[in-house]
Amino acid sequence: MAAPVPNDMFTPDVIADPYSYYGRLREHDPVHWNEKYELWAVTRFDDLVWLTRNHELFSSAVFKNDPRPAYPAIDESDLGLYEYVKNYQADQFIQHDRPEHLEMRRVMHSYFTPRQMEAWRPFVKDAVKELLDAAEEKGEMDIMRDLATPLPVMVIAQMMGVPASERGHVRELAEKLLYIGRGEYDRMKPLTEGMRGMIDYVSPLVDERLTNPGDDFISVLASGEKKGVFTRHEVLVNTSLLLLAGHETTINLICNGALAFLQHPDQWALLKTDPGGLAKSATEECLRYDSPVKSIQRIATQDVEMRGKVLRKADRVRWFISSANRDPDAFPNPTAFDITRHPNQHVAFGSGTHHCLGATLARVEGQEVIKALAERFPNLHAKSEDLEYQPSITFRSLKSLPVNLH
Amino acid sequence: MARKLRVWVDQQLCVGNAMCEAIASHTFRLNEKRQSEAVDPEGDIEENILEAAENCPVSAIFVEDAETGERLFP
Repeated sequence: MAAPVPNDMFTPDVIADPYSYYGRLREHDPVHWNEKYELWAVTRFDDLVWLTRNHELFSSAVFKNDPRPAYPAIDESDLGLYEYVKNYQADQFIQHDRPEHLEMRRVMHSYFTPRQMEAWRPFVKDAVKELLDAAEEKGEMDIMRDLATPLPVMVIAQMMGVPASERGHVRELAEKLLYIGRGEYDRMKPLTEGMRGMIDYVSPLVDERLTNPGDDFISVLASGEKKGVFTRHEVLVNTSLLLLAGHETTINLICNGALAFLQHPDQWALLKTDPGGLAKSATEECLRYDSPVKSIQRIATQDVEMRGKVLRKADRVRWFISSANRDPDAFPNPTAFDITRHPNQHVAFGSGTHHCLGATLARVEGQEVIKALAERFPNLHAKSEDLEYQPSITFRSLKSLPVNLH
Repeated sequence: MARKLRVWVDQQLCVGNAMCEAIASHTFRLNEKRQSEAVDPEGDIEENILEAAENCPVSAIFVEDAETGERLFP
């Protein structure tokens, strides 16, 4: 019998290295009951795919259906703010099940088709160039602060039809929204400031786009309000969701991807032989190797048996992408970073009906960054070996990644 | 007469997003693995089948003119 697995997922060593901890769970207890946070941890690739594809058994309406308190714990005086957060989050389309989820997703889906997103590649390329030009003058940069954080906001602000002069304000709001995935005791204050700020900022834009629709994303959501699919609050919350979902995730793809190359000089050397040709498979391997999203939660809609365990109705169920993407039953030599890996059917974007709506956009951004870094800064190297991660169970997010360019 | 189509879903790519089934419900059906299969290339009008292919988030759907072999999507 294996030694019992410690049950705190937020300890500094698990935050620094989630792979050892979740790897042990995957091997010894793949459907594991975590007593401390009262949740099931599902860690095998096959189980994760099964769980996400059987959406009837596992509700995505987590904020609506989970009566338990926030975790990690928050300041007691912030419980009112937490209620606000729950009501705000509950209106996100991703927090719905079918049939509402399908109806809501269909409003937005055609905006995010692979072909539509591919059309954004020239804009992404220019934005990457602008940010790298600024870094080149200094000879150094913090990949997190100077590239990964601003790039997705530049893209999304453009999609929202936000004028350049207001991008700074949107970026400030976006950075407050990032607190949703963090573990700080007092995270509710900045988070709710970001949420309220988004509502104040976006609401007049929706009014304007209802009268004068354009080809921007807010107009798409406003059309959903016109059709009766969305309430106004849902339009506002889902605009904010786009900003957040496209931000935190892409940040991590860029930073974790860059770090993987800094730590694997052989793969960096290989990439430099053909940045244009390898950027695509390299991005997929970055998504698999150090996935931007570590885990996502569902709520069981009925009693479900998995690997001999009975998950009871209303139980919290968390599935761990970071572990599934390193499952040796799904990926040969899973701990190797191999940018030519094929096939590479990772689950970094989830699977099933909730598969990431912005997957193609994330891929385009990842590919353009990786290609540009390899072409422009062949001698890129880390300034320090000390790495610190955000104390989040959801996101695999570095605090900073300072590099020298030459 | 509508032209005959050849429609297939690459099972290596399909993630079971099921948007195709929502758009062209007679042509696409989820199998027991919850992945989409093209069960009837004449189940829906061509416009809907092409819309389903266009909307696949992982570009797993392929559509050809069955007689000429002309690729209609992607």
